[in-house]
Amino acid sequence: MPELFNPVDYAVPVFILLIIIEMLWARKKAPEKYEPKDTLTSLAFGTGSTVAGALTGGLVFAMMLWLYEHHLFEIGWAWWAWIACFVLDDLAYYVFHRSAHRVRWLWASHVNHHSSQHYNLSTALRQTWTGFIAVNFIFRMPLALVGFHPAMIAFCGGINLIYQFWIHTEAVGRMPRWFEAVMNTPSHHRVHHATNPRYLDANYAGVFIVWDKMFGSFTPETDDEKIRYGIVKQLGTFNLLYSVFHEWIGIAKDVWSAPWRHKLGYIWRPPGWSHDGSRETSDSIKARWQARRENQATPAE
Amino acid sequence: MEGALIELAKLGGSIAAILFLFWLARRLDLGGDLRIRDEAHARALADEAICGFEPVDIILDKAGMGALLKDAQGRHMLIRRHGAAFVARLLDRHSESRLDQNFLTIGTSEKTFGKVTLNLGKDAQYWAAGLRHMAV
Repeated sequence: MPELFNPVDYAVPVFILLIIIEMLWARKKAPEKYEPKDTLTSLAFGTGSTVAGALTGGLVFAMMLWLYEHHLFEIGWAWWAWIACFVLDDLAYYVFHRSAHRVRWLWASHVNHHSSQHYNLSTALRQTWTGFIAVNFIFRMPLALVGFHPAMIAFCGGINLIYQFWIHTEAVGRMPRWFEAVMNTPSHHRVHHATNPRYLDANYAGVFIVWDKMFGSFTPETDDEKIRYGIVKQLGTFNLLYSVFHEWIGIAKDVWSAPWRHKLGYIWRPPGWSHDGSRETSDSIKARWQARRENQATPAE
Repeated sequence: MEGALIELAKLGGSIAAILFLFWLARRLDLGGDLRIRDEAHARALADEAICGFEPVDIILDKAGMGALLKDAQGRHMLIRRHGAAFVARLLDRHSESRLDQNFLTIGTSEKTFGKVTLNLGKDAQYWAAGLRHMAV
């Protein structure tokens, strides 16, 4: 087994430098793209996430090693194994990410990444503290069972995370057409972070946008509508601890007060689901927007 | 032991970098001074918050820091500034309001959302009465 390092450790100084450059760009072009308190919150999320990862990473790695001991194929460390691992890890990320938007238990952790109303490079570092509780790690586990070494999976996961950093910006418009066709880009990922009804639940890709195109979740960015960022019900606070745990608190309250037969629904159904239909999911918001759009398009008789 | 020290040093470096970037964002005066410009702006913000919310009555805070809107169904929406963005909430009968001459202070049922004081001029009384008589 080759000696591997954590690529994210080496990327952090570059992250900081790029944030500084983007801040200087914002000062010149659009100061409202950054909000100091929001940036502070996002970066504190990032640091907290690293600490949480350090505390639980060993256990996750041990579980993956156990699975690897029972692997199905002898893959080893050949050059093509790295490419296969990276691509399959990105597919696993797509499945995780799509699930994280459709299952409230997973959303409770992932919502942290979306709760900023700003979209800049500091938003990229707005990472969850509760990924272990949400069992996010299970999505990568099958790779170990297939036969990829956990160290290789962790390394590819690190590269995936680094790639996703630069796409969190409004400073870059569109990339060349061939690049936009295959790779996740700032344009595609702006759509993913948007709360405009037309963009809800779209573009879950990590590195390769082709997954969204293959599985029907791709929506292109349009120039006709200004993008609004954040979550459907904006937080309205910069309180770090509340920002970290608000959805978990929401789940606890809902499960506590729901009738017995509906309790589990508040855990596994989509965010916004309620047993009495009093709340809105992204599907219902999108449907209302679509109906309104069609009404406006129909000429009055 | 050495590994733990390295991790602690990394954590210290991260915290120092965070504080530096926060300081820089403030120093560069990022964020700006966002205000609600007019009723059309408030209407657009309401539609962004709840797709299809069509206000029939709108009042803006004199300084543009917030707005109150009412739709045909009698629902009241509060919009207020949040950093360099706006946030909105539908008000319900659990919302509290306090009138002090031209100033109306409104608190939602969410503690973390905080209270907002709007300068509504002579219309403050009318809106305070509207909030008191909310059905839901």
